[in-house]
Amino acid sequence: MSSFLTRNRLILLAYLGMVVLLLVTALFSPGFLSESNLRSTLVLAAFVGIVALGQTFVIIGGGIDLSIPWVLNSAAILMTLLCAGQDLPLFWVAPLILVGGAAIGLINGVGVAIFGVPPIIMTLAANVILQGLILVYTGGSPTPSAPELIKFLSVGRLGPVPVILLIWAVLALVASLLLSKAAFGRHLYALGSSATVAEFSGVPTARTIILTYASSGLSAALAGMLLTGYSGQAYLGMGDSYLFTSIAAVAIGGASILGGSGHYLGSIAGALVLTILTGLLPALNLSSGALLVVYGAVILVTVSLGSETFASLWGLVFKNKKQKTEGD
Amino acid sequence: MDLIEVSGLTKRYGGIVALSEAQFSAWAGEVHALVGENGAGKSTFIQILSGAVHPDEGKLQLEGQPYSPINPDAAQALGVAAVFQELSLIPDLAVEQNIWFRREPRTALLTVDGKALRRKTLELFDKYRFPPLDPARELRRLTLAERQLVEIAKGLAKDPRILILDEATSALPAKEAEWLLALTRQIAAEGRLVIFISHRMGEVRAIADRLTIFRNGSTVASHVATAVSDDEIVTQMIGRPLVRLYPERKATATERIALKVDDLRSGSRLTGASFELREGEVLGVGGLQGHGQRELFQSLFGASRATGSIELWGKPTQIANPRHALIGRDGIALVPEDRPGQGLLLTKSVRENLTLSVIRRFTDKGFLSRGREAALVKEMVDFLRIKAGTPEQLAGTLSGGNQQKVIFGKMLLTEARVLLLYDPTRGVDVGTKGEIFQLMRDLAARGYAILFYSSDLPELVHVPDRVLVLRSGRVAATLGAGRVSEEAILRAAVLDEAA
Ligand SMILES: Nc1ncnc2c1ncn2[C@@H]1O[C@H](COP(=O)(O)OP(=O)(O)OP(=O)(O)O)[C@@H](O)[C@H]1O
Ligand SMILES: [Mg+2]
Repeated sequence: MSSFLTRNRLILLAYLGMVVLLLVTALFSPGFLSESNLRSTLVLAAFVGIVALGQTFVIIGGGIDLSIPWVLNSAAILMTLLCAGQDLPLFWVAPLILVGGAAIGLINGVGVAIFGVPPIIMTLAANVILQGLILVYTGGSPTPSAPELIKFLSVGRLGPVPVILLIWAVLALVASLLLSKAAFGRHLYALGSSATVAEFSGVPTARTIILTYASSGLSAALAGMLLTGYSGQAYLGMGDSYLFTSIAAVAIGGASILGGSGHYLGSIAGALVLTILTGLLPALNLSSGALLVVYGAVILVTVSLGSETFASLWGLVFKNKKQKTEGD
Repeated sequence: MDLIEVSGLTKRYGGIVALSEAQFSAWAGEVHALVGENGAGKSTFIQILSGAVHPDEGKLQLEGQPYSPINPDAAQALGVAAVFQELSLIPDLAVEQNIWFRREPRTALLTVDGKALRRKTLELFDKYRFPPLDPARELRRLTLAERQLVEIAKGLAKDPRILILDEATSALPAKEAEWLLALTRQIAAEGRLVIFISHRMGEVRAIADRLTIFRNGSTVASHVATAVSDDEIVTQMIGRPLVRLYPERKATATERIALKVDDLRSGSRLTGASFELREGEVLGVGGLQGHGQRELFQSLFGASRATGSIELWGKPTQIANPRHALIGRDGIALVPEDRPGQGLLLTKSVRENLTLSVIRRFTDKGFLSRGREAALVKEMVDFLRIKAGTPEQLAGTLSGGNQQKVIFGKMLLTEARVLLLYDPTRGVDVGTKGEIFQLMRDLAARGYAILFYSSDLPELVHVPDRVLVLRSGRVAATLGAGRVSEEAILRAAVLDEAA
């Protein structure tokens, strides 16, 4: 474990940042640390965290997924439409939508890996096309409310623990195992570090790329369905904010946006930081414009703390301590 | 008077001592060679001289003045320019833009003056009689050897008083290497200092006035070249006498054909190569640079598109991609040409690099076994004596020769028995070279079949059983045992050019 942490200093930093942010927030609004508030913060973070899961894979592999907003939104809208407020249809609708989300990701992956379309173009196009299709299909009319079962999954509790946290925990475990303990993880880090070297080493590069986008489509679709439970229904534009937060969570979590490094454990910290931040900002009594400025600035600072330049500064700060640990 | 004088130079990276109390002095007008094993500290030393790395301790003097350049620009301003071992060019820029990078001639409007840029480049090429090189060509389209020439041009363009060449000949074919050696003498004759690093004793012998020997981060001796024998140098380098560089060549080839290639074509360079490689055989590939050698190796590995037929262990095979080539014991493995571009993940550990091609050898039901991985890694690190602090050291921080060993180990772990070795000893020290050659012969004796390209002609003469000479993308001659000599290879390589 200690070697994991020395190699992933940035993840540690992200959690450190989260704790500091939590304390600062508690200073400004003492009620923030109450049990119920912490719980609702965690629930909100879970949505960001689930979306960031696939994005983490994609970014480690050297790509980026910009189709998240409308994959999420389409999943939410289709699910509520097809279930029409009933629980029972969910047993075929939910798998269908998850498969659909993965299929969109698969198409993105094939475009990137086989046809060589740049990831930004491919996923942006998928996003716009999905948006168009949904608008045509629904005609913009409001959708029925979310099934009760979905509401239970996203805001319900088992004892003191919100159900969605259990879902998130299971996903986090699976993602971490895939990254640290499975061949897939090795392939992914190699791919993101250098696609050519990976190819020359016999890494199944195309398959790995496609898998990352498919998992991103899957996690966005899952988040979309769960989110309807939280807001009670699906609405147009509900996925918009998740593009930025998914990427920011991964970056705050210590991944290089150029690929080859990072871990889902970091992205979890990133999701928490972002959510605590949205909780802190209202307490500052700023105008909504100023809020956005602070929000953006904090993310910028957090991410750049992990950059090369800062890394050398950190190196100076930790110099003596580091030499001692490496010596023995 | 000494142009440069260094004492007590020490550099540590964490727990790794790269350089310890190094001493050095050199004067204007000489070619001064640095020799030593992989990881002995030569590159670290010249990185300090050229301002790229800062020492922990030590005193440096340039013409009697204290000298501590804060960066390469500062060193350059004082007339010190280096051609580093790891090339530092920008793939998207043209040759001429790379050579004059950040020092481009400007017009009155401060934009780059394209005409002057071209003129200065051609003047430079002309002045030093460069081998043919198109100034307008984009760098990414050049071969490794051509890139090395650009890097040399970039160093010369700074018109330095001290020119440092770190293994600059290692990527060059014979003719170009010859040219560079002559050039160093010319520069020294102009009263400048050339510091020259090479693992090829012949080159050092040909040009060096004096040489300094590095071992384990220390400088163990300096000699006037004429006053010391090869054996003495090697003994001081590796701490023991070298028994022999080239192994005994016992014919171990069987009747069984491991690889049969018929009319293989790829791109414009490989235009129909046919040959057979037998089990237990080391087959050399020679010829002038650019006559299809790299295309041959890459197509056999599935890394470039090719047509023609390939039979592997008697079975017709289509090799679609490297993953397909590396299918276990009946597969084909490659030591590629371009170390950072194709062979090594510089930002990943020695461990991850070594095992990247053989993840399935330590996976159970999809899960990695760290223990079994560690055993494989230890086996290779010990076997090849890879000099790394721990297996977790990043591959990019290893010395050049040790990086090459990691690539070699990575290939051996695949257990493929047809090996494609494209210049496998590039940048490797003499001791290890001898070990690698011995290893190649041992593998052949165990039934491996090896295709071996080298940019170093003597290696082709002394290691393989037979040598194929490629000319214009075809096999122009096959030189069997007893007929292989440097002259024979060169003659076959240029025959139709001479005619
Ligand atoms: N950035 C770094 N971090 C850690 N270790 C380093 C770093 N740079 C160099 N080293 C270590 O310092 C030692 C000396 O390396 P150096 O590159 O100077 O060797 P060299 O004599 O040039 O070898 P070669 O002939 O293989 O090029 C090596 O053991 C290397 O691993
Ligand atoms: Mg070196």
